[in-house]
Amino acid sequence: MNPDTTDARVIPMISQLVPVKPEDIKPEHRLREDLGMDSVASMELLSMLAEELELDVGVEDVADVHTVGATIELAKKFLAQKAA
Amino acid sequence: MSAVEVASEPQGAEPEVLGAIVGETERFCRAELDAAAIDHDAAIPTSVLEGLASLGLFGLTLPEAFGGAALPLASACKVVSTIAGFDRSVAVSLGLHLGLGTRGLVRYGNSAQHERYLPSLCDGTRIAAFSTTEAGAGSDLSNLRTQGRLDGAELVVSGEKIFVTNGGFAGLFTLAVSTPGLGGAQRGQSVVLIEKGDPGFSVLREEKKLGLKGSSTTALLLEDVRLPLDRVLGEAGQGAKMLQHILSWGRTLMSAGCCGTAREAIRRATEHVSIRRQFGRPLASLEVVREKLAHMKAKHFAMESLVDEVAREPEDTLAVRSLAAKVFSSEAGWAVVDTALQLHGGSGFIEETGLAVMLRDLRVTRIFEGANDVLLAHLGAHELGKPAAAKVERPAATEAVEVELRQLEALVDGWRRELLATYKLGVFRAPRVLHQLGEAVMWREASAAATRRALRTASPEAIALARTILSEAHHEVARLTTLPLARDLVEAALGDFPPGETR
Repeated sequence: MNPDTTDARVIPMISQLVPVKPEDIKPEHRLREDLGMDSVASMELLSMLAEELELDVGVEDVADVHTVGATIELAKKFLAQKAA
Repeated sequence: MSAVEVASEPQGAEPEVLGAIVGETERFCRAELDAAAIDHDAAIPTSVLEGLASLGLFGLTLPEAFGGAALPLASACKVVSTIAGFDRSVAVSLGLHLGLGTRGLVRYGNSAQHERYLPSLCDGTRIAAFSTTEAGAGSDLSNLRTQGRLDGAELVVSGEKIFVTNGGFAGLFTLAVSTPGLGGAQRGQSVVLIEKGDPGFSVLREEKKLGLKGSSTTALLLEDVRLPLDRVLGEAGQGAKMLQHILSWGRTLMSAGCCGTAREAIRRATEHVSIRRQFGRPLASLEVVREKLAHMKAKHFAMESLVDEVAREPEDTLAVRSLAAKVFSSEAGWAVVDTALQLHGGSGFIEETGLAVMLRDLRVTRIFEGANDVLLAHLGAHELGKPAAAKVERPAATEAVEVELRQLEALVDGWRRELLATYKLGVFRAPRVLHQLGEAVMWREASAAATRRALRTASPEAIALARTILSEAHHEVARLTTLPLARDLVEAALGDFPPGETR
């Protein structure tokens, strides 16, 4: 999977959890303040991401993930690790 | 905080000042509050509200500069707990005013907003209400449909709120509204102040309820209510964090009300079993009765310990620990009142005895201020998501109560690690598991607070109460850590009930 398609897979997942259209979700959006996710919903997103992309992500890896962009970067990092 | 550390000294009110206020409040309640009449009439007499105002209770937590007493949350909890022992409708109405109703204004309001509203809120000529709840968004703040849109220098708010405590007689309403795009937040929420009489704002029907009948519960309709921007509290679009703090205060004060109710139920039950004779001896001499009383007292001791501790927490930890206090106090309070009613036998079921109204009043505490099931899932999620704490060497436990607490802490922590190792991040998509872990965390927090208090007082009775709640906590956590009912058994038991979306 190339980097561009990572965005294309992550953003629709976010859109499943919050009533915001995929085209309105930007990397700079904060999961909590901008997208209205509470702490459980944001962890649910990261869990969904790990499952759908088959990534071995631990709780300690997501401690600093607070934005859409950081979520995409996390996915890219673990996809690269998986491919290596 | 470990069990051996001593909790910080009470902040704010000097013990004698608080003692005098609580004493005055108790005298007033004894003379003026008639829970049966308030329940029957489904209204709090005006004279009672005036009496609370004359005691200065509406300004208890509000700044001194505007006529308040500026007492901290822990002190307000003592007052609300005292009132709840006499009448829950009055306690909830005042607690709502002091917590959810005014906390946002006090904490986040600017000086102009303070000057405009606080004097009348302090002297009780204006009572405060608060609402986040909507028909489609109860405990889910991320899906508010009441929306504010910017139109020039005004915020135009439309929507409907439900289950608004104090709605019928409030003069100021603090409301959570969705304000997409405002303050740069795509799906941000804002906290706004609505005055009774604002054009387009209506207070709707008074709800008929199972309990708390004297308190006012209404719906609110907002039809293009045009608010100048100085009606927004704090920073527009950044309401989520403010709401978390405001709700923490509300939950803690509500928990204090449960403590007062449980204390009164125990007093009545103790009195009854001392007088009532069965099989030729007082009920109080029967082992099964004595054991019930011990459990009631232990629950109350833990409730009070946890609420008092939580009420002194700084803002960041108050938000999470108030979840545990709210759920534990409402569940344990319910159990205590139910047992008190049971110990009264048939007379407990009769209204005149006074236990029935307590039970009805208390029922909603497991639902409002965040339904317990939802809050437990949040508590569990927070426990799983918190960074691993650095290993701290603690002195060896010497007291049995402390050893038992450490065993409980180790049990919960071990289970947390096991869940993370088994499910990894997937655990956050398993609400059933989050809920179970949240319940275990609640028992740990209640037990820890009770243990710390017992060790501080060092009285044999307090130690015994802490050990009793620890015993119950061990039993409950052991139950929680076993597998839940198998999914296929659940489905078979439900027959042909359509599954819908199961998670």
